[in-house]
Amino acid sequence: MSKGRIGNNIRKLRFLRNEMTQQDLAEKVGVTRQTIIAMEQDKYSPSLDLAFRIALVFNVPLEEVFSYHLENNAT
Amino acid sequence: MSFQEKNIAVSLSTFTLILGFYLLRIFQMIRGESFNSTNVFRLWGIIVLLAVIGTILLTIFTHIASGIVHKVRTNEDPQIEDIEDERDQLIDLKGIKVAYTLSSIGVALSMLTYVFGHPPLVMFSLLIFFGITAQIVADIRRLALYRKGF
Repeated sequence: MSKGRIGNNIRKLRFLRNEMTQQDLAEKVGVTRQTIIAMEQDKYSPSLDLAFRIALVFNVPLEEVFSYHLENNAT
Repeated sequence: MSFQEKNIAVSLSTFTLILGFYLLRIFQMIRGESFNSTNVFRLWGIIVLLAVIGTILLTIFTHIASGIVHKVRTNEDPQIEDIEDERDQLIDLKGIKVAYTLSSIGVALSMLTYVFGHPPLVMFSLLIFFGITAQIVADIRRLALYRKGF
């Protein structure tokens, strides 16, 4: 089975929201700033619950924040 | 370094020092021919006390010291992010899994020494050795996960 990678646009969406700080976003979704940093650097894939909370903060659909890519296609 | 990483670093330092102290005392006992149940169980007590009290005191000291350094460097009040979120819990679980696996292997190996005819004191000494080692490896694993992500 192919391995997947979850990407995200959190950095871009923060920029579009008047350069919202990582700390602000972290406080709004109830995690530490380190978790936001780890997500932006693709070092951590959030739970569905956290993913939906982030999408709610930016007021956009989930797929606008997160995307899923298959790394190698196995047939 | 985040609040959680500092806690792990403190725990890692404490348990590394404790392991060093433990091995030193055990070798001293063996060389001085005082490797008996009274001394070994007294050492067990000292190790448990050191682990509990040492970790608490060092954690408090580290946070006070890092707070002072932060204030001096940036002239801002230090922010303590002592909340534990889902990522912290996941990393903790991965660390516990490593510790549990190593402890289980350690207990099995310790018991094997008894099965193969070594005195029970060897088994008890190895039990605490593997316990501390498991904690150290788990801390290294958790610190690595915080650093490189997963």
